[in-house]
Amino acid sequence: MDFVSLQKVTHTYRDANGKPELIVDGFDWAIGEGEFHCLVGRSGCGKTTLLKLVAGLLQPDSGSIALQGQPLRDPGEQVGFVFQRPTLLEWLTVAENILLPISLKRKPGPADHEKLESLLALVGLSGLADRNATQLSGGQQSRVAIARALILEPPVLLLDEPFAALDAITREELQDDLLKLFRSRNTTVLFVTHDIREAVYLADRVAVMDRGQLIRDLTIPLPRPRDGEIRYSQGFNDLCADVRHAMDVPA
Amino acid sequence: MKHKLISTALFAAFLISWEVFSRVSGFSELVLPSLSAVLATLWSGLTTGYLWPHIWLTGVEMLLGLATGCAIGFVCGVVLGESVFLRRILYPYIIASQVIPKLALAPLFIVWFGFGMTSIVVITALICFFPLLENTLTAIQHIDPQKRELFRMLGATRMQTLLRLKIPAGLPVIMAGFRVAVVLSLVGAVVGEFIGGRDGLGAMIIASQGMMDSPLMFAVLIVITVLGMIFFQATIWFERWLLRKHITGTEQ
Repeated sequence: MDFVSLQKVTHTYRDANGKPELIVDGFDWAIGEGEFHCLVGRSGCGKTTLLKLVAGLLQPDSGSIALQGQPLRDPGEQVGFVFQRPTLLEWLTVAENILLPISLKRKPGPADHEKLESLLALVGLSGLADRNATQLSGGQQSRVAIARALILEPPVLLLDEPFAALDAITREELQDDLLKLFRSRNTTVLFVTHDIREAVYLADRVAVMDRGQLIRDLTIPLPRPRDGEIRYSQGFNDLCADVRHAMDVPA
Repeated sequence: MKHKLISTALFAAFLISWEVFSRVSGFSELVLPSLSAVLATLWSGLTTGYLWPHIWLTGVEMLLGLATGCAIGFVCGVVLGESVFLRRILYPYIIASQVIPKLALAPLFIVWFGFGMTSIVVITALICFFPLLENTLTAIQHIDPQKRELFRMLGATRMQTLLRLKIPAGLPVIMAGFRVAVVLSLVGAVVGEFIGGRDGLGAMIIASQGMMDSPLMFAVLIVITVLGMIFFQATIWFERWLLRKHITGTEQ
């Protein structure tokens, strides 16, 4: 059974005047357990909206979304979400930010602090737990945001262009670390990006979206684990070209 | 350091030219008392203990008015910020209550609460209410939408979102309103005493006018200015302490 499944999902946005605009138009998609899928498309194609639908932050007008076979209603613990910006709470320390999902439910205990330590090590922030969130660099803030999304160990992780604002080198480092985390935890991931190379590097499967519709479904047969070298291989570039051509649709 | 030096020099130059001008200009002491006469009055007022009860009274009125006004303003700001319904219904009334010059209400308060402290505290509170309300309302309505979505994703209750996101995130804006309220509270207390006070610094200004005692009036003005600066500086320290977590490091 599919871990995450979307069937004919449609979402309409109404502006202030009540004029409806179709943002997501009959989208079908399925993600198997432990798979890493990327959703690419131009700005404004509806990919962020689709991700929010999967998160339960928005409700579809028609169609259905199911997580582990259960219809999705509200946002919940089974989904971790990483936003476009790190959205850290500036008045909290790194540790308090990461523990926020727990501290909203109960007082974090020793087991939670152990989990915090191991997560900090995994995202390469050991020793920075007591720093103020705003004292970190952009890349470090993104790492904190990922650790925060993982602290409850959600089976599904959704990421909305989390690395878009970072420089190219930092972005590659974060991509590699994200893949490492993904391998070690068997999390099911849906990653939204407009960066074709990022999508091909990370994903098992890439969905190309345009004006609310799925226009291309591409399997990425590159072997795992992947490392930086693969970015310069012929096969990688052919796949990127494939995705790029799929996005060349007449306006 | 350099700025402080220039600032101090400017102040000294001002004092010296005041003293010189008042001696050579030939104005009567009623119009422009000399600095030395004002300082002598101030000194005797402080040493004989004549001024202290008035300073104390004005300070207490100001603090009580400030605390009451800010507390009510903050709570109303939070309630209106959280409830669109109440905001739509009540906001026009709040605006109306604020466009009335509050000092024009002072005579009415004297009828209601009598001469003295109560009336003045009420006037001061009414003046302090608005900046806190307005800034609290603005602050908690303008929270980063992604952070609100984050709290929704985490299943936070409305109360948790308010206490752990909206109020801490809005604190810098709320404190800016508080700073304005502190300055206004001294104006409220002093001018309130003009109208409804028997004692206090504002009442002393009126009394000194009646007695044509300009040196005393100037001495009281100096006391009021110093009082205001002490309160303002204390506010800055309080704000810095409260926002210590917000301001360590800069946004990357």
